[in-house]
Amino acid sequence: MSNVSSRKVALGAAGLFMAVLAWYLIALGPMRESPLPAPTQVFSAMIAMVRDLAFWESLGITMLMAAKGFAWALLVGVLLGMAIGWFGLVGKALSFVVEFLKPIPPIVIMPLAILVLGPTQRMGEFLVFYGCLLPILYQTAAGVRETDPVAIQTSRSYGVGTGEILGRVVLPSASAFIATAIRTAIPISLIVSVVAGLLGGGPGLGSEIQRALSANETADLYGLVLILGAVGLLLQLLSGGIESKVLSWHPSYRKLVH
Amino acid sequence: MTLQIGVPVFILAIWWAWSNSSSNPFFPPLSEILVRFRELWLFDKFLSDIVPSLSNLVIGFAIAVLLGVILGLVFALVPVLEELLSPLIHFYRAVPSIAIIPVFISLMGFGNEVRLLVIILAAFPPTWIATMDGIKAVEPQLHEVAKVFRITNAERVFGMFLPSALPQIFTGLQASLQFSFVVMIATEMLGSSVGIGAMTILAQQSFASVDMWAGIVLLGVIGFLSNYLLGRLRARVLSWYDKSKALQLAA
Repeated sequence: MSNVSSRKVALGAAGLFMAVLAWYLIALGPMRESPLPAPTQVFSAMIAMVRDLAFWESLGITMLMAAKGFAWALLVGVLLGMAIGWFGLVGKALSFVVEFLKPIPPIVIMPLAILVLGPTQRMGEFLVFYGCLLPILYQTAAGVRETDPVAIQTSRSYGVGTGEILGRVVLPSASAFIATAIRTAIPISLIVSVVAGLLGGGPGLGSEIQRALSANETADLYGLVLILGAVGLLLQLLSGGIESKVLSWHPSYRKLVH
Repeated sequence: MTLQIGVPVFILAIWWAWSNSSSNPFFPPLSEILVRFRELWLFDKFLSDIVPSLSNLVIGFAIAVLLGVILGLVFALVPVLEELLSPLIHFYRAVPSIAIIPVFISLMGFGNEVRLLVIILAAFPPTWIATMDGIKAVEPQLHEVAKVFRITNAERVFGMFLPSALPQIFTGLQASLQFSFVVMIATEMLGSSVGIGAMTILAQQSFASVDMWAGIVLLGVIGFLSNYLLGRLRARVLSWYDKSKALQLAA
């Protein structure tokens, strides 16, 4: 983060401070009668939460659902996406199905998932899988189609087999697209994993939010939402860092040197 | 082309044939689902459930887009605002959009205005960010041309900056639509008895699997159609952009 100027940091900190101050004043002033908790209440609720082992257990379950569903989606999505992008026949055969499913979010099929799998961790994992699969599949196929045909033909004329071309030429070349897909899919995995708990009765932080809402414990509720935001931010930073490390060799990540 | 149409038809045919003799309570015959679909949605529950859902979707999306474009414009033209608020923006966008629903329900109850408000709040950021980025990416020469010709500020914004940011804005619109749709369903599933989402989840909870399937099919169709319509609008509004891109590629 060396390119972030100190002016930017100072302004950002000032903005954050003003926002918390505004929240504080509103909560104590005009909205004193409403259930809106003051930031101090929320912060102390958060501190109490992170001292409680049950909270970490819920967080762990939520992250596990997100991670498992995401991992399966990555595996299946990259393989299917490569098949779709590489074999024109497969691409044509599945194009309509993919185009139809792409605008249909996991929440639509959630009732079915609950019915079949029950309000369980498996249900959450499945929904995360479904939500992450299509973006990954779609981007992978696009990346495969963007592969430099000369590179493929060159490998062909050196007698490289199709499997090796896919693994050593096409996949590395499509990796920038797959990285974009991963960047979109990671927030999706967290959202869906929370939704499965909040609306689907599954375990994890989602159900903690549901419990805080129905018990009218607003300080807990706000604390949970803030923690979720922090977790989301952390995941984004982490995936961004890993991405630029792993793909530093890729042309689209190299810095121009004049 | 035959393959593109053939495979979906084949899948539907398989589903029809396989489910026809199905005694699995979770996967009732497709024929029954379609009959129930017609009974429920055409037009028994049309006014009571479809109209409230769709009007929330359309109104929420429209206000979110308007808000997003205006905010994007303001933030692009007054850069200090972005610097001041950028940590907040990053944080807000990192919060799962669904999680803001309980925050507002806890403050204001389950009323329909709350649902609309939450849809707007969840759906405007993509359009906002896209508009901001799009306008910031306007070629610097355009600014200079505007200065040289002494084009008024209003004309600059509406005649030059917004049109040139339009391709990005449409990318934002697509994401905003998706958020509106998801949050519309989520607000209905969370403590409500009205709307397609509520109908579907209530059917699931009472093990009325045929009704639930009818709801899922309708939601799927709405998700697909709304996205398709926006795509058509994009193709029409941005035909100049797509054509110039195609020319660039050909050259």
